[in-house]
Amino acid sequence: MRIFAKRGLLLPCLLAGLLSIASSMSSAQNLSVQPLNVAGTLSSGEWEAYRSKFIEDNGRVVDNANGNISHSEGQGYGLLLALAANDRASFEKIWNFVFTELLIRDDGLIAWKWDPGAKPRVSDRNNATDGDILIAYALAKAGTAWNEPRYTTAAQKLAASIGKHTFGRNGGIVFLLPGAEGFNAGDRPDGPVINISYWVFEAFPVLAGLAPQYEWNRVWKEGVTLLQQATSGRVRLPADWLSIQSRMQTKPADGFPPEFGYNSLRIPLYLLRAGMTDLEWLRALKLRWSAENEGVAVVNVVTGNVRERLTDQGYAILSAALACALDGTPVPDTLKTFDPQLYYPSTLYLMTKSWLGEKHPQCV
Amino acid sequence: MRLASSAITIAVLVLGFAAIAQQVGPGSDQPPSSAPNPPPSTPPSANQPQVDESALRYFASQGDTRRVNAEIARLRALYPNWTPPSDLSQLSSGPAVAVDPIIERLWNLYKEDRIAEVRAAIAERQSTDPNWKPPEELVTALDTVEARRRLTNASDSSQWRTVLTVATENPNLLTCVNVDVLWRVAEAFAKTDQTSRSRDVYTYLLTNCGNPGERLATLQKALTILPENQVADLLQFERKTGETPDNFDSIREELARRRVERASNDDKTTATAEDLAVVERMIRNTNEPGPVLVLAWYNYHHGNPARGLELFKTALDRNGGNKAAEGYAMSLRALERIAEAEAFAYDWRDKAPENMKVYLDVATALLTQDPPPRLETRVVSRIVPVVSSQRFPDGAQALGWYSYNTSQFQTAREWFRLALEWRPEDEPSAYGLALSTQRLNDRAGFNAVVAQWRDRSERIADLADGATPARPGQPRAQVVQPAQTVPQAPMRSVPVQAEAPRVVVERSAVEVEPTMRVATAATGSTSGRRNCIMTRSADGMAPDAALTLGWCLMDANRPMEAVNAFDQAIRRGSSRIREEAAYGKSLAYLRKNLTSEAAVAAAQAPQTSQRRVELSASILGQRALAAYRDGRYVETILALSERARIVPEQNDLMLIRGWSYYKLGRYKDAERIFRAVQRTGFSEEASVGLNAVLEASIPNRQ
Repeated sequence: MRIFAKRGLLLPCLLAGLLSIASSMSSAQNLSVQPLNVAGTLSSGEWEAYRSKFIEDNGRVVDNANGNISHSEGQGYGLLLALAANDRASFEKIWNFVFTELLIRDDGLIAWKWDPGAKPRVSDRNNATDGDILIAYALAKAGTAWNEPRYTTAAQKLAASIGKHTFGRNGGIVFLLPGAEGFNAGDRPDGPVINISYWVFEAFPVLAGLAPQYEWNRVWKEGVTLLQQATSGRVRLPADWLSIQSRMQTKPADGFPPEFGYNSLRIPLYLLRAGMTDLEWLRALKLRWSAENEGVAVVNVVTGNVRERLTDQGYAILSAALACALDGTPVPDTLKTFDPQLYYPSTLYLMTKSWLGEKHPQCV
Repeated sequence: MRLASSAITIAVLVLGFAAIAQQVGPGSDQPPSSAPNPPPSTPPSANQPQVDESALRYFASQGDTRRVNAEIARLRALYPNWTPPSDLSQLSSGPAVAVDPIIERLWNLYKEDRIAEVRAAIAERQSTDPNWKPPEELVTALDTVEARRRLTNASDSSQWRTVLTVATENPNLLTCVNVDVLWRVAEAFAKTDQTSRSRDVYTYLLTNCGNPGERLATLQKALTILPENQVADLLQFERKTGETPDNFDSIREELARRRVERASNDDKTTATAEDLAVVERMIRNTNEPGPVLVLAWYNYHHGNPARGLELFKTALDRNGGNKAAEGYAMSLRALERIAEAEAFAYDWRDKAPENMKVYLDVATALLTQDPPPRLETRVVSRIVPVVSSQRFPDGAQALGWYSYNTSQFQTAREWFRLALEWRPEDEPSAYGLALSTQRLNDRAGFNAVVAQWRDRSERIADLADGATPARPGQPRAQVVQPAQTVPQAPMRSVPVQAEAPRVVVERSAVEVEPTMRVATAATGSTSGRRNCIMTRSADGMAPDAALTLGWCLMDANRPMEAVNAFDQAIRRGSSRIREEAAYGKSLAYLRKNLTSEAAVAAAQAPQTSQRRVELSASILGQRALAAYRDGRYVETILALSERARIVPEQNDLMLIRGWSYYKLGRYKDAERIFRAVQRTGFSEEASVGLNAVLEASIPNRQ
């Protein structure tokens, strides 16, 4: 308030922006993350279809649309889905691959990219924070569900590394860096740069329990604030990669397309899974994603132009899940049979189905 | 925090090594795998799984002869020195125990390296039967394999702290069975600035592990990581006796080769005869160009360019490529076979930047030979486009002098202009430009150069003042030319030192020549010059004829014969002739660098004060240079100071003074001198000196 007093001549729009931030901050304060069980929420038939298509005997989750590479994100989803299907054997395999092949960084985070055609096969040893969070979260949930201390211990170590190396600070705020290196202020001219879809909201309270010395609570709330800020423009969609040099005015990061793309598609899924359905933005998105409008699509956040419509059932079910959660609309029959083709939409499909199975069985 | 914990890590690791070493103990001559086997009921302790016999023991306990034999075959293939334990039969003769079929399946998966599936099967079994536990041996075996994979992957991705952490947490990995792991741990120590720990690992390995191939490979690894004296220390572990003695000769050879290689680039370091002999032997025993090049450079930098040339030729024949070609051209040049050097280097100029540099240097040297050569048009016209495209100022300047000396003054003017464009501070090119414009009666051009340079270059100022007008047929250029020190490849400071004497001799000639010519004209007949080439001896000549002959011989650059002629003039001549002849004799000695003789000669007859100053200055300059050449730097500075009392010190001698201070470690004084030289326009040589001072004094500033 001192700032307002000092500068009497603020532009009205800027003032409005500040007020909207203030209101969104208060709404972030009011939100909370609802815990999920995860375990036992996926049918064995659907899981089996996924497992046999994308997971090798050594526990490697294969991204068949990306040169059959593997990544920490895929391993994390694989672990979560194996837990959801109560498949201890597969969980153990996927973890074994993570443990022996990717958990090699000096800072305790996970190397994100593994390429069967590269030498060494860890072809990019950087971490990707969403992968780290998914894996730590899955380990934590499995450790509890199956009473397996090996998983809990590993989750604890990983959570501490995430808190130590990927929480950025800018002024008074604490946020999630997409990777331990290369995104912060000083690392690039428009830094810090973030990716809102890396906030796997449901994981934060769980990891906070394992590594309470880090500010998980502030970080997830900052995620909500940044989401609201980034969706306050005309198009109302966040770009996948955002510069938050000015937190009041996030903007698409340099060198990335200014698009609401494959990354950001997951944001509503993560919000739903965390029980954060009160956000007004989800209603706006549901409308945009409805069949009468443009549907799920990659959209330029500056112009609002659609670059690519996404029709795979793994994307369509995201829209159906929104309709179910907000209006109780049942999932259409066309989306009920799982036919896995590509790794990413198939993964989103099962992540959605698992959540629907736990929270909204009546929709499916 | 990090430092502390990594220090602990190391302490633990080293303790681990110590423990393992003790375990292996005095029987270390044996391969570790044949160490006594643990009793069958004991699970392998962390310190003993040299060869993983757990699966074998399991099959034996099941009485499964087929699998026992298969496993024995597999382990033999993996570890040639391994012998099966003798107590297997006791195992199978025990009472038959009802065996859980999953155990066999797990061991089979383990054998096939399907570790994730073993883990999965264990987890699955435990989910239905929470009290079930896998065999302890299997768990240990799995932990070890996983640790090895993580360590290997971390090492492949340069995650050295992870390597050390995994090693610390799994000391049972650190055995002779996993030599590769030991090598990676040694590398991780080195990469985290703990080479002494790397040496400990290699020492452990050489003390305890028996496989001769791995032992040799250990030293090869050490060569990439440890300082050479530490590698040499490791050679003491060579086993000369036993069934499989070591042969570390190749390591010794490599160490010798490296010593020669180091000395090969440093003319102050000499290699031992033994080391040189090793390299000679390597040359004979392989067809590789590597050792040939080492020896070639060694010879080149140690005063034997002829042998260097031969060796570079051999290296070329062995496809030694660019480096061999570079050395070959440099050797030709050092042997003053400059025309050949130019022709050869021309063909290689585009192969690498170094080859281009050699070509430009050699071409420049070719153009600036003393006396100026007559070059084929073909040669000059291939030099021109290269100098142009490379924008090489020394080459442009050389082409300027070459044109000037062949009376192509317009061309000369253009080259000097180009040289100045490419290197605006190039005083010699400015001087060349001044001379060329003067010859062309290009007043505007001449005035422009003078206006720009007269404050920075004394000789250009002199030209403008008409003090030393350039004369037809006597281009000053020839005299000045050697001052253009042509950069030599490896060390910029070398030319300054090596060329300086020559510069001074010729400069002193510049200073005295006008007078000398006047004297010649006044005393000699014009036919003297033509005749003196034929004359054998001055004995019996008239004093003035002898004097004339002396000057003529000086003109023909035959100073020792000139001394005889001047002697004759001194013996018989009038006081005026004696004075003139003594002066000539001093100059002759000076030209031969015989400083003290020059001083004696100068004293043979009284000289005019002007000449006395000239001669004293020249003699003292020579004396300083001789002292400098012999490394007597204090005397160098004394002589220079004495000289500076009678004449101003010229730039090249100031450089010598600067280098003397430098050699004496008086860096501040050296810096002061080099800066002074730099301000007068000799920026390049002075910069070399300043850089040297900077480099030498850095450690003192820290």
